[in-house]
Amino acid sequence: MWAGILASLPLMMGVIPFSVICGASASGIGLTFSQAWGLSWIVFAGSSQIVFTHLLGSGAAAWVIVLTGWVVNLRFMMYSAALAPHFRKTPRLARWLGAYLLVDQSFAATLGRIAEGRSERENVWFYAGISLALWLSWQAGSIAGILLGSFIPAHWSMDFLVALNFIALLIPLLSNRLMWVAAAVGALVSLGPQLPLKLNLLVAALAGAVIATILEKLWKPASSGPSS
Amino acid sequence: MEASFVWAVILALAAVTYFNRISFIGLLAHVELPRLMQRMLAYVPAAILAAIIAPLVFPAGVDHLPTLDWPRLIAALIAVTIALRTRGTLATICIGMLALWGMQALLA
Repeated sequence: MWAGILASLPLMMGVIPFSVICGASASGIGLTFSQAWGLSWIVFAGSSQIVFTHLLGSGAAAWVIVLTGWVVNLRFMMYSAALAPHFRKTPRLARWLGAYLLVDQSFAATLGRIAEGRSERENVWFYAGISLALWLSWQAGSIAGILLGSFIPAHWSMDFLVALNFIALLIPLLSNRLMWVAAAVGALVSLGPQLPLKLNLLVAALAGAVIATILEKLWKPASSGPSS
Repeated sequence: MEASFVWAVILALAAVTYFNRISFIGLLAHVELPRLMQRMLAYVPAAILAAIIAPLVFPAGVDHLPTLDWPRLIAALIAVTIALRTRGTLATICIGMLALWGMQALLA
């Protein structure tokens, strides 16, 4: 538990500013405090909260918002698949509660910890410590953002913080040229002609993934596929 | 915005998000994801992150067409360089933001 809490401290430096932005943008589109905070703790997934706020603010239909958010959070399915074999002996209730706390940072740190070859029990407590500490700091940052967001002047261009946060998340993913292809296709589709129903983000994600997967097949003999 | 609509979308988003999280830890504990699906899933984060970043660097102008905003573009390139070199979230964010403000002041 303590090892997990300790490991969360450096990660908070990235997590807290992001939660402040998420909170500020939720209140920025006119959500009430309880809605904005509800988004932060019920969904508890920053990238999809940003997408939710952006799409809701621009008047997208509910199904487009939910489907796009689902795709944004598809990576949790990968994380879930990667962690599952290591949490098999853990009681069901603990697994169902723990899944709610699963985020990028807790996943990456726990997987690193698992690689050190400790017992499942130790790994689960590590996961619990880091996840709870990150959850608490996320909620604190969100509330600060919701309350203070409306005082930040527009000419500070704080929306750019979202871009910077995502650049910091994206760059480490670009470990081979197929990842670069996926990212380039995603960027181009989202900048391309406005698709109906605000579907650009969803189509961008799918197009990037499909094209990179097809190229992976075509380049197979020569390529060094991504190692994840 | 209608409050019940906002809450419905929040709860629906929370449900699909939780489904992704619990999928293999709980629901499908003994199922292996098909390989093709695994490969595609591996590319989704890079594609979607880039798709979120791009319109913030090239903001939409009239007719929703992306526009060239030099301070944003230069600041983004600096941030990408920092991220490639250091992998540090905090350094990327701080230097990127200072670069944006600096370029905005210079080019104003």
